Amino acid sequence: MRRRPFFQFKSIHTNIAIAFSSLIICTTVILSANTYLLSSDAVKDNSYAYTEQLIGQVNTNIQTYIGNMESISELAIRDEGLQKLMRLPDPYDPEGLALTKQASGFFRSIAESRGDIASIVFIGTNGALVSGRSDAVLKDYYELLNQDWYKSAREAGGQTVISSSRIQHVYKNEYRWVVSISRQAEAAADGNTGVLLVDLNYNVINDLCKQIHMGNRGYVFLLDPTGDLIFHPQQQLVYSGLKSEEFDRILQSSGDRSFEAESDGKTKIYTIRSSPYGWKVVGVNYPEELVGDKRQIQFSAVLWGSVCLVIALAISILLSLTLTKPIKRLEGHMKKVEKGDFDTRVEIESTNEIGKLARTFNLMTGKIKELMGQIVQEQEDKRISELKALQAQIHPHFLYNTLDSIIWMAEMNKLDDCVRMTSALSKLLRSTISKGEELIPIRSELAHIEHYLTIQSIRYRNKFTYSFEVDPAIMDCRMLKIVLQPLVENAIYHGIKNKADAGHIQIKGYRTGGGIELQVIDDGVGTDAAKLNANIAKGRAGPAPAALSAAAAASATSGLGLQNVNHRIQLNFGERYGLSFDSELDEGTTVTLRMPELGEGSGVQL
Amino acid sequence: MMRKWTWVFIGAALLAVLAAFAFDAGMTRLKPQAKHILFVPKTIDSSFEFWEVMRQGVDTAAAEFGAQVTVAGTETEWDIEGQIALLEQAIADKPDAIILAATDYNRIAAVAKRIVEAGITLVTVDSGMKDGISGSFIATDNYEGGRKAGKLLADAIDPNREGPVAIINFVQGSATAMDRERGVRDSLAGYPGLEALAPIYSNASEDQAYRLTLELLRSEPELRGIAALNEPTVVGAARAIIERQAVSRVKLIGFDNSMKEIAYLEDGVLQATIVQKPFNMGYLAVKTAIELSKGKKVQPAIDTGSEVITKENMYASDKQKLLFPFVER
Repeated sequence: MRRRPFFQFKSIHTNIAIAFSSLIICTTVILSANTYLLSSDAVKDNSYAYTEQLIGQVNTNIQTYIGNMESISELAIRDEGLQKLMRLPDPYDPEGLALTKQASGFFRSIAESRGDIASIVFIGTNGALVSGRSDAVLKDYYELLNQDWYKSAREAGGQTVISSSRIQHVYKNEYRWVVSISRQAEAAADGNTGVLLVDLNYNVINDLCKQIHMGNRGYVFLLDPTGDLIFHPQQQLVYSGLKSEEFDRILQSSGDRSFEAESDGKTKIYTIRSSPYGWKVVGVNYPEELVGDKRQIQFSAVLWGSVCLVIALAISILLSLTLTKPIKRLEGHMKKVEKGDFDTRVEIESTNEIGKLARTFNLMTGKIKELMGQIVQEQEDKRISELKALQAQIHPHFLYNTLDSIIWMAEMNKLDDCVRMTSALSKLLRSTISKGEELIPIRSELAHIEHYLTIQSIRYRNKFTYSFEVDPAIMDCRMLKIVLQPLVENAIYHGIKNKADAGHIQIKGYRTGGGIELQVIDDGVGTDAAKLNANIAKGRAGPAPAALSAAAAASATSGLGLQNVNHRIQLNFGERYGLSFDSELDEGTTVTLRMPELGEGSGVQL
Repeated sequence: MMRKWTWVFIGAALLAVLAAFAFDAGMTRLKPQAKHILFVPKTIDSSFEFWEVMRQGVDTAAAEFGAQVTVAGTETEWDIEGQIALLEQAIADKPDAIILAATDYNRIAAVAKRIVEAGITLVTVDSGMKDGISGSFIATDNYEGGRKAGKLLADAIDPNREGPVAIINFVQGSATAMDRERGVRDSLAGYPGLEALAPIYSNASEDQAYRLTLELLRSEPELRGIAALNEPTVVGAARAIIERQAVSRVKLIGFDNSMKEIAYLEDGVLQATIVQKPFNMGYLAVKTAIELSKGKKVQPAIDTGSEVITKENMYASDKQKLLFPFVER
């Protein structure tokens, strides 16, 4: 079994449209999907990379600050004056006071050179107190010894201690947000030591973190190793439990990593960077923000994809229509030609292949029409010449019978009859032989038929009588010659001959509305008029009467003679004209010949 | 004829592209529209830390929830006419929501009613008003705060000593003041040895509180403690106590916080202070206003809670933020 090809549709139009459409759909879908995937990936990757970069930068900045603070504290603690002061047994003796003044001057110069340092304070175990500020009074020595920064620095022994964000309250009536760095100085031989405190303005960290925007709602927070918040934009909400973060997971995670977690009923992406001193810089992103972007990309991709698709589909349909429309028109014209209308011409002006095709088609139909015309012409010519040949014949039987009758009459000494018959025959022969015009006056045709009737009436001795009743006005009108003879022949052979008693043949001629009618009326046995009419009609459509052979014509029993007449009339004058029959059994037959009225001198081109 | 169709088609295609553009732009614009919220604190004077911190909370929430917040307010807390005029103007401007700290319990109610009738979501913070027509009231539960203060006062007083305790209120007729006083009184009622005196009013004036306390210390030599119900009253009372050298004899429990209060706290003049959480108030007010304007159900009253600050816990990391709000200036 032969498989049907997949793309088999009824029309080229559909084929083209479908081919284009599938091509376009494929392209659009692939492009849209690609665009979407690429851009959504890009958005996601970008935002991750951006976040990491930001967090990394925050981390670096903070480290830089802390590093600076450490080096400053290093610098301050190694100050010679300070070291000396620390070693003094009594820092409030004149030397100690001088050294204190010198050290505070040094501290002040450091603090003033940097806006991010809130204060520098030194507490010696010997009771020395050095402050970098002259505008604020330090709290009581023993109160200071109880403060966390001092205690933790002592515990850490030489190591730098970095506090969380806190309120610094070393000065009386002053409370500042700071991040403190404290370290213990190297102990002197006598065990005297001290703790140096450098306070970093919290503003610096606050500004650093606050200015970081990740998406619309993303933020950065800082966590110290104990889990205390150094900075959080919503610190108070966190403390009140209105907000929560994944502190445990953040603290547990070591190194730099990212993870997604659910908190406060929202998914957050945590990006963590750890610093050497234990702080963790944490960036918080909301993936739904990224999803929002993604959704917009998705929407745009779908929207533009479908717009492109619709336009592309319309274009493909339009294009295929444009392509196939002339073909369809051509097809319509071909159908007309198929039905026989060779006059159709395709009006296609375009210069493309279809235009060429149309022009070729036009040429072809023209040629076919020409050939067809030629054939019809040839056929008609052939038929007419055949008919002419036929009409010109006098049946040998007739001639033989007539001559026989003449001989017989001569033997019987019926001279009058003999003369009449012989002269009629001679006249009949003459009119038959005469080449002359195809159209003759009715008068001449009637004369011809009278000769014929004369001969026949003598032959059939009183078997019938005949009469003429023709409107004298039409006598000069033209008609085809030798058309009445077959009618009369028919009336004799089929009407009168078989009749028991004598019959009568009447020939009538008169004008009618559209022309002239000649009637041959006999009162013979009659016949089946319907059959005759049908025969006539059939004969007209039938092949050229090659059957008008001499033998068939001689018997004259077939309607071929009549058909022949009918054919000749119609060939010459058109199908409106011709023969019709009217018959009644035992009553007689009327054959009516219709033809146009042709005045004298008029002619029909043959 | 083909030509004509081509033009029709080109027109249709252009139209489709335009429509797509319009749709795209429309969708972008139609993305959850930023709610416009008007925040009306009692005062816009930036020296009042309470309102500044509340504003931080408001701003934080606005950034988080994508709302657009405008702040409008009167210069002083007692410009009631000014606040009414401002609210009338707000009705005309028709924001999505108004967050209001009413300057008066009774007189703001009328204009508040008109706000609600105009279809604007109304959320009250800190101070409510009568009839409670706002969608939600976000404030410290002052009665609860008062109860805490009463208990702290009773605990601070030597259990063996009996005597009168004074309540210095700050204004008559303020819902906050009334609730706090009621709380203190109810709490003190549980200590039969302590007798709460009739309330006196400082009118939120430090000097008035100072004078009243001097008078009190004179007229009530056995006075065991004072509950001062707002910041100027606390400061005035502390000044008087120091001046009369009554620090160890008279215990002082206060409300709110300020640098002066912190100093008194460190010095041991002030035993404890009840602080509110204005940041949370502002934050929750915006959150609630947005939820309300989206048609969600919210609680009619949200208590933001209060914290007890004593000398011992004042530097604890979770208390520092409340006591020393980091206000960028």
